[in-house]
Amino acid sequence: MESNKKYWKGLEEYNNTPDFVKNNKNEFAEPLPIEDVLNEAGLSTVTPRRDFLKALGFGLGAVTLAACQSAPIHKSIPYLVKPEEVTPGIPNYYTSSFNGQSILVKTREGRPIKIEPNPNAGEFNRGTDARAQASVLDLYDVSKLKAPVLKSEETTWAKIDTYVKSELAKAQAAGKKIRLVSSTVNSPSTNAVIATFVAKYPAAKLVQYDAVSYTGIIQANQNSFGKAVLPKYNFDKADLIVSFGADFLCTWISGEEFTAQYSTNRSYKSLENKKMSRHIQFESGMSLTGTNADTRVPIKLSEEGPALIALYNAITGNALPGGALPNNTTADKVIKLAAKELVQNRGKAVVVCGSNDVSTQILVNAINAAIGSYGTTIDLDNPCYLYAGNDAEFNGLIAEMTRGEVGAIMFLNSNPAYDYLDTKKFEAALKNVPAKISFADRADETASLCDAIAINHNYLESWGDANAYEGYYSIVQPTINPVFNSRQAEESLLVWADAPVKDYYQFVRSNWESKMLPALGITWSNVLEKGVVTVAAKPAGTYSFSLSLSAVATSIINSSKALSKDVQLHVYESNPMRDGKNANNAFLQELPDPVSKVTWDNYVALAPKFAESLKVKEFDVVSVKGSNGYSVDLPVLIQPGQAQGTASIALGYGRTKVGKAGNDVGKNAFPFVSFVNGTMQYATTVTITPTGSYYELAQTQTHHSFEGRNVIREATFKEYLKNPAAGTGKSEEGHKNYDLWDKWEQPGNSWVMAIDLNACTGCGSCVVACNVENNIPVVGRDEVRRRREMHWIRIDRYYSYETPTGDVTREKEIANLEDLDHVSVVHQPMLCQHCDHAPCETVCPVLATVHSSDGLNHMAYNRCVGTRYCANNCPYKVRRFNWFNYWNDSRFDNYLNNEFTQLVLNPDVTTRSRGVMEKCSMCIQRIQGGKLQAKLEKRPLKDGDIKMACQQACSANAIIFGDANDPNSEVSKALRSERIYYVLEEINVKPGIGYMTKIRNTDTTVQA
Amino acid sequence: MRDISMILKSVWKSLFVFSAISIIAVSTVSAQDAAEGRTLFKAKCTACHALDAKMVGPALTGVSDRHSEEFLLKWIPNSQAMIAAGNPEAVKLFNENGKVAMTSFPELDEEKVKSILAYIKEGEPKAKGDATVAASSAANGGGTSGLSIAGIVAIVVVAIVILVILGRASKLLERLILQKQGIEIEEDVPLKVGVRKMFKNKKFVMFFILCLIIALGSWGWMGMWNTGVHTGYQPVQPIKFSHELHAGTNQIDCQYCHNGAFKSKNATIPSLNVCMNCHKAVQARDNYEGEISPEIKKIYNALGYDPETQKYDKSKEKPMEWVRVHNLPDFAYFNHSQHVVVAEDAIRKAKGLQPTEPVCFACHGPVNTMEEIYQYSPLTMKWCINCHKETDISGQKNNAFYAKVIEAHEKIKKGEKITPALLGGLECGKCHY
Repeated sequence: MESNKKYWKGLEEYNNTPDFVKNNKNEFAEPLPIEDVLNEAGLSTVTPRRDFLKALGFGLGAVTLAACQSAPIHKSIPYLVKPEEVTPGIPNYYTSSFNGQSILVKTREGRPIKIEPNPNAGEFNRGTDARAQASVLDLYDVSKLKAPVLKSEETTWAKIDTYVKSELAKAQAAGKKIRLVSSTVNSPSTNAVIATFVAKYPAAKLVQYDAVSYTGIIQANQNSFGKAVLPKYNFDKADLIVSFGADFLCTWISGEEFTAQYSTNRSYKSLENKKMSRHIQFESGMSLTGTNADTRVPIKLSEEGPALIALYNAITGNALPGGALPNNTTADKVIKLAAKELVQNRGKAVVVCGSNDVSTQILVNAINAAIGSYGTTIDLDNPCYLYAGNDAEFNGLIAEMTRGEVGAIMFLNSNPAYDYLDTKKFEAALKNVPAKISFADRADETASLCDAIAINHNYLESWGDANAYEGYYSIVQPTINPVFNSRQAEESLLVWADAPVKDYYQFVRSNWESKMLPALGITWSNVLEKGVVTVAAKPAGTYSFSLSLSAVATSIINSSKALSKDVQLHVYESNPMRDGKNANNAFLQELPDPVSKVTWDNYVALAPKFAESLKVKEFDVVSVKGSNGYSVDLPVLIQPGQAQGTASIALGYGRTKVGKAGNDVGKNAFPFVSFVNGTMQYATTVTITPTGSYYELAQTQTHHSFEGRNVIREATFKEYLKNPAAGTGKSEEGHKNYDLWDKWEQPGNSWVMAIDLNACTGCGSCVVACNVENNIPVVGRDEVRRRREMHWIRIDRYYSYETPTGDVTREKEIANLEDLDHVSVVHQPMLCQHCDHAPCETVCPVLATVHSSDGLNHMAYNRCVGTRYCANNCPYKVRRFNWFNYWNDSRFDNYLNNEFTQLVLNPDVTTRSRGVMEKCSMCIQRIQGGKLQAKLEKRPLKDGDIKMACQQACSANAIIFGDANDPNSEVSKALRSERIYYVLEEINVKPGIGYMTKIRNTDTTVQA
Repeated sequence: MRDISMILKSVWKSLFVFSAISIIAVSTVSAQDAAEGRTLFKAKCTACHALDAKMVGPALTGVSDRHSEEFLLKWIPNSQAMIAAGNPEAVKLFNENGKVAMTSFPELDEEKVKSILAYIKEGEPKAKGDATVAASSAANGGGTSGLSIAGIVAIVVVAIVILVILGRASKLLERLILQKQGIEIEEDVPLKVGVRKMFKNKKFVMFFILCLIIALGSWGWMGMWNTGVHTGYQPVQPIKFSHELHAGTNQIDCQYCHNGAFKSKNATIPSLNVCMNCHKAVQARDNYEGEISPEIKKIYNALGYDPETQKYDKSKEKPMEWVRVHNLPDFAYFNHSQHVVVAEDAIRKAKGLQPTEPVCFACHGPVNTMEEIYQYSPLTMKWCINCHKETDISGQKNNAFYAKVIEAHEKIKKGEKITPALLGGLECGKCHY
């Protein structure tokens, strides 16, 4: 059944702008300057005969000399004393954890080069996110300080210790407060260190401050159930998920884990059991989670509260005031529909809300209690400890500082001079503190205001532990000796507290051995080996909600009214940058935003119609002015699906003192955050005025065009149940294919891949994993604008709606689709398809790209002469050309081009030089490595021995790799699924990667 | 007649040999103890002792003067028992030497201990001068080989000159004889005229030019083919390490030092702690008049090791910068373990290696005869490919990994030789990624 859906990657394609049409015809959208060269300086200039002869002579001489070189001297320097566990050429793996998530760190010859998920980490920690993958680059960051700093000068630890101790003693003696400001501390050992420190300095106290706060949920739970915790959400137990602006698949609390949970009810395995959850998303900006929803309804920020009241009323039959959505009939209808479904799915549903407002979260608690979520989909008894920051407490601290009550302040993993909502107020308050100490690894916005910077280790150099959830502990262990003269913050605190044990390793170990291990009956080495320790979960209790909601409703309505003016602005965490702590990470900066596909910048996202009404076009720079007077100039991005009358700006950009790669990338949006009703609010009102200037964002989305061909296949869940092959485009008879090529046997292995479009959320962790594994260079904003990004795997994002000629709407309720508010999105990971009849191979004049007997499309870089015919002939546009020698070219110094940063390179993969083509190799180094391991062990290769970097990083299990010649392999099974289709199957290139149709659970059993 | 003389000859011979042997035997009776002692000393004692230097144990020269023979006869076989028994001299000795227990040698009877003591008393036989010369000439091995080639060339040249002169002389003599016999012969055409005549001969000129073109062409062709091929590359290493001595004479297994070869892609150059396993004790003092060998000293210096105090000083550590002999370009991936473990049997068969020879010789050549290591194989892609095309790997059926793969391939090619090429070993991506 052919779908008549129209898919488009960007508005230019949708509108068929002249520029787009023109560029579309060219292989390299940017015009090559051949004509210019020939017309202007090229042919018309006269080359004098003597110059020509000089050049000829020099050339000949140089070539002769180069050819005459004798053997080059390569030094080979072995270890003086080789550590026993290291064998050069063989990686070592160590367990550690990143932000509470257990990981494996791959090291080669003592340097960490890759992060992998820890297979012991538990069912829902099976992947890693883009940040974890990229974090290994932070270790090799040249912008870090190399020694501790005292009064802006590099110094020794002894001097730092003397200074800090005397200052702390002074503050203590003067009866002033000592404050340690940190982002959430969930490490038991760090907490023990802080307790030791507080014992020595009773005036000291820890203040937890998260740049993006979850105080609202914590306080709402305190208010509703007497438990001031962030609950554990179980999306795997939910058949129906209703989310109000919570980007839970990406940035909200623990996106990676939620993705794994969410995909269990939506992946191909679940669909084979005829089971699929349903997900309804109400939000203003287009989030990653919104793009994955079965039904997504754009609502204004001011409508979020009323929508929740309406939902509550519809579920419980109560009549709280304010539950009307007069201007959004669609939302109103979907709310009623959702209410019916929620009641039907009692105990198997969950409602989440991204708001940090206490009243809103109390109302959400009431709804969840009414649909029986507590004890099933929400667990208050095994809470999450990832965020415990208290907004009011930090605001109180600033008041104390302003009053001069604080004698010494320390900043651990926090940077309020950048991410506090009023940095000027903070800076002024900081001036009243006599001793300011930062544990930052660089002179960042806060650290540069401090007297002493006691530089902390990178997490890959540290000892430690984490407690992400009740009963879930993970260990942090160092994988490299400290590179610079840094000292772990905990050790610094122990030194300053004159603790008996100052070595932090000893401290962590004895803390575990005395407090944790005896009860568990395991040893310290067990912990290091496994990386995680889980204690049996407590039974999740059911909770009922019994409070009056009238005050809550009033507060919600007041907030909503306050937002109903001007332009409603939502500041949000973007997928790559999050809160901006890793802003100097070039891999993350170049990771396209999952929805807008913008790299290296933030922007103001506006709905097409709304932008028209503001008289701005895409990439026009507008001035965004907040009610507090803060204003930034940012380019406009036209975002289909954005709610009318709203704008969205990503946080995490606009850092000024983070380092060479991240400085002055985008603008800081934290000052748009407001402090209302005791918590940070991420919704505000602004005015938007055009400035008249133009700024082109570096987007990757329309760099390649599929010329309107059907590359996305999708079906509804209802259609799928009737016919599992629905939407695959397979006709019953098929038609006869004629091959230009001889058939080649693949007798040994046949490496293929299956990608489940229904599981893929588009988060992009595969992209970063691939970058790190395969030494893919970062090219920077300008080069991305020229469409020269080098990513071997990209995630294509397609918008769609039904064409008027077909079945106009699947959801009769959601009528008017043409306004581009109601678009649906499909994410499609696109990489080399390793076609059996690869078009690239036939056009290569030098046979640099040829096929292997195990079904791979090989690329011999040293043979490539750079004609780029292959890229021209590739129907999938996955080939990348090295326009520069990115590894040795001063134009790319800010990214990966320096000796220290290049220690991150994978020694098993060649770095490509200028003038050669490259593309996904199907991690051939991993295939060869896996095969060799089997050969050495004299056993046949097992399914699962070899994993692709992208596959390993994927939390959703969307990528399945294996041997098609093994009928029992996971991938063979997946490829036998009826949902499988091949992209551009009709051109008969016989791709090696099968895609499974996107299934949307849009049809509902409840009729509105 | 003939028989008698033969018999007489043999009798004479045996008589001579016997008398010679007996004379030597008589003259060496006194040396017998010391010689046996020397062998025993080298086998049992050198791990901890030297004659003139303090190692783990004290220097032994003059030990018979310091201690009574009675004491030593007891002490050497079992010093611990003496200490345990509380012998004051023994306890004192034990304490003086850092309380390091000396290994017991119950196998040394009184005779043997006496032999050792005799050797210690006599010291090293006085052949030192020759030994050092030999050692120093060995150390200059690289230079010598160049010199010897030059010598050979010189000899050949001289021989040719002599031949020419002799030829001329004999010709002259012949002519004189002929003249004497009255036979007239034509005067020799002067050389100059002859050459001129030759160059007027077009056929000859043609032939000459053709030869020249062929010679220059093939020389150029070979030169270009071998650009970047460094067979025989033998750089000067920071330590004059002799593979001939270690792998040849001392028969140390390749893996003892290059232990990565069987596990990893890198064979690995051994870290210096591996050297120290032996060279803490082996200092080759015999060859350097009681001094530590200057080459071994380089190991100590790099590690910051003081042989007197036997302490390591981390601050004096200095990495050893070897010069890579075998350079593969970055874009070629080579894995030692794949070849020396997985394909060992096939490679041995293909290269016709003796069972006693390590598989490494297949590519690295007779390392056990290389005074200084050099590149034996061309390491070109052609060289790799040829081997992958020709080597028969049917024997790999015993490896469960290959069993399945070979079976699969045999479906296509029945009965033919299985080579790596057949299994995809020539595909670009197998080595270039």
